[in-house]
Amino acid sequence: MAFARRISILFVTLLLAGLGGATLLRLSPGFGVDERDLDSRLNAASLEASQAARAGERNLGRFYASYLSGLARGDLGTSRLFGRPVVDLLKERLPLTLGTVLAGFVMAWVVGITLSAVSAMVRNQALPFALDSFSSALLCIPSALLAVLFYRMDVPASAGVAAVIFPKVFFYSKRLFSSSLAKPHVVTARAKGLGDVRVFVWHAVPPVAGELIALVGVTLALGLSATIPLEVILDLPGIGQLAWNAALGRDMPLLVSLTLLIGAFTLVANALADAVAHAATGAGSNDNSR
Amino acid sequence: MSFRMILRVFLTVFLCLRASGQGGGELRFSIRNDPKTFDPLLAEDEASGTVRYLTGATLIRIDRKTQKFAPELAESWRILAGGTSIVFKLRQGILFSDGTPFSSDDVAYTFRRMTDPKMHSPVGDSFRGGPGEIKTLVQGPAQVTVTFPAAIAGVESLFDQLTIVSSHSPKKELATLGPFVLGEHKPGSHVLFRRNPNYWKKDATGRRLPYLDSVRADIQQNGDLELLRFKRGEVHMIDTLDPELFDRLWAGSPGETRNAGASLESEMLWFNQVSGAPLPAHKKAWFRSKDFRRAFSSAINRSDLCRLAFKGHADQAAGPISGANRLWANAKLAPHVYDPKAALARLHRDGFRLEKGTLRDRQGNAVEFSLTTNSGNKARSRMAALVQQDLAKIGIRLNVVPLDLPSLIERITRTHDYEACLLGLVNVDLDPNSQMNVWLSSAANHPWNPKQKTPETAWEAEIDRLMRAQSSALDPKKRKAAFDRVQEIVWEEAPILYLVNKHALSAVSRRVLNVSPVSLWPRLYWNPEYLRVTNQVAQSR
Repeated sequence: MAFARRISILFVTLLLAGLGGATLLRLSPGFGVDERDLDSRLNAASLEASQAARAGERNLGRFYASYLSGLARGDLGTSRLFGRPVVDLLKERLPLTLGTVLAGFVMAWVVGITLSAVSAMVRNQALPFALDSFSSALLCIPSALLAVLFYRMDVPASAGVAAVIFPKVFFYSKRLFSSSLAKPHVVTARAKGLGDVRVFVWHAVPPVAGELIALVGVTLALGLSATIPLEVILDLPGIGQLAWNAALGRDMPLLVSLTLLIGAFTLVANALADAVAHAATGAGSNDNSR
Repeated sequence: MSFRMILRVFLTVFLCLRASGQGGGELRFSIRNDPKTFDPLLAEDEASGTVRYLTGATLIRIDRKTQKFAPELAESWRILAGGTSIVFKLRQGILFSDGTPFSSDDVAYTFRRMTDPKMHSPVGDSFRGGPGEIKTLVQGPAQVTVTFPAAIAGVESLFDQLTIVSSHSPKKELATLGPFVLGEHKPGSHVLFRRNPNYWKKDATGRRLPYLDSVRADIQQNGDLELLRFKRGEVHMIDTLDPELFDRLWAGSPGETRNAGASLESEMLWFNQVSGAPLPAHKKAWFRSKDFRRAFSSAINRSDLCRLAFKGHADQAAGPISGANRLWANAKLAPHVYDPKAALARLHRDGFRLEKGTLRDRQGNAVEFSLTTNSGNKARSRMAALVQQDLAKIGIRLNVVPLDLPSLIERITRTHDYEACLLGLVNVDLDPNSQMNVWLSSAANHPWNPKQKTPETAWEAEIDRLMRAQSSALDPKKRKAAFDRVQEIVWEEAPILYLVNKHALSAVSRRVLNVSPVSLWPRLYWNPEYLRVTNQVAQSR
């Protein structure tokens, strides 16, 4: 029952996001115009035909009805910008973006967790200060600027995703580890002479595992949104570049489909992370009770 | 015969055989977007135009170098019946890429398809000047007559865009008569063209063209990345470079840059003169004043625009037609002279006065308005900033408003909610008939005041008359005289201020042979059948 409720909330949220996106796009300046309007070769009849072809999207009610009926059949419509079915465009571009996001995500988590653990455990102040400064710098730099930097350095886009995710993981996990390491039972374990690594793995990590896993969904969504400037600047034919072009070209079927896709990705990632975190917390509390 | 002599003959024969057997390699360059269509009759965007140019063949082609008509699939042609008919004698023995023979039926089919009102083909619209049907009469496999409802002056130039498609090939428009055929399209990545084994042209030695084995057009939206890939040798040419990137390449590798001089592209500025535009009455009065427009033009330092905004890679523009269009540019016109004092004097005559550094009109309104332009074009943004500075010298406060292109198009074509606009004009066709929708006062693309029911000014009525006259006159001299007069009226009345003509800047790797850059589009691969890519760098150019 709870699962069904959760799924229906997810579905309604998605629908509202997608259709809300369509409404915003419809109200944006420049909606329904085309570069063809400036083509001096076209005569009045062709210009009118081109404008009439876009008229269907002007009426939001009609657009919603036609889009939703298509969606029910697995048809997301045809991109006005690319002149191709939206489903095909998504199929072609999704693997590249997913690959970039996942590679960046893994990099950021491995490096972030490792460095935050080191930073939380060392007694020397210089290293944490350096790591904090580095992470703060990454946090301050907009992802578009990172993309320019990586383009100059010829670094893959996944490193850009990692650079965006890393500071979140680092700061969040460092705070959790620090508070965990300051707990009395951990201090006692250290005082009894247990090794730092053993103390960290067995006593500092398990209590915060649930909170860390909950961050997974957020960082995945963050990584996905970072692909928009990265793919545009690095000229990568992925979902991010597609979203950018769709917004600039006021391509309603494409942009609504992308909103739904990105929304679904974010919601599913968060829901999964929550579920795993919930399970982990349960398991963790059982461990503690033993 | 000595042994050395025998060896020399042997080596010569070997090298000749090797050369004749050598493939031309793969040429790689970039296009900005995926082609929107592979149907040559529907091509509108530049990427689809590239596909059409590389794969298609026309009856008549405009030679990009000489700007003269050259026979392609048509061996010869004659214009009859006062310009209402054109008879083509076609080459025989030509095959489409899939092996189906080319004949006059294909020409008739192409016309039927292109003029189908449901197609809304841009090429078809160019041919359909007015009401009435275009008819074709097939007179055997090698002769076809095309009859138009009314005479079209300079009709040959329209055929440069008309790719002949097969009437009976099962591959439809993918069966081509041009040097290449579509090999592969990986959306978002590249379009690969392979050599057309049935291409009809041969070189002077009788070898079948093209020399190249394939052409790969990578989809690359970012000009900086394109230049980086060029420097790494991943692409062999860049058809259009902006001045900044051109100078960057020049600094490191001057031998690979090409400047073919002024292009057909103009940068222009116009004022909103639409009667119903949502503007205050006093601003409408300024923009409708010829003295105001001419004074504005004289206050702009075009030389600075060329020097600073385009790094010296542009010429001052005198009128609507760039000097690169050798046949149609009015050579008598010179750019409006930069003279802020003369500009102020003209404004004083029109009732404006300069008070404490601010220009005011008769009613005391301070002259301040916005200049709308599209965002994302560095040179244009610089140009807008320079114009802003120039106008400040005569007390005009100009606010630059960059908008994204759809918003800009909406304002200039629908809501007319703008004051002045700075944009670029890309001419792809040399003939003035292609500009009928710009100059006729009733046209939708008449920039400063579109869709007028009747011309609102005497000079616009005169332009209408002259444009119609040139479009129906068959005597090239009369056409030229009429269009020269149009250019003079535009220069005099200044409804559009032409600022600069950009240079045709490009880059070519030393590995590409037989490239001869031109100012028309395409600048580098206009003769694709003759291009070659070698593994060795060409030493002399």
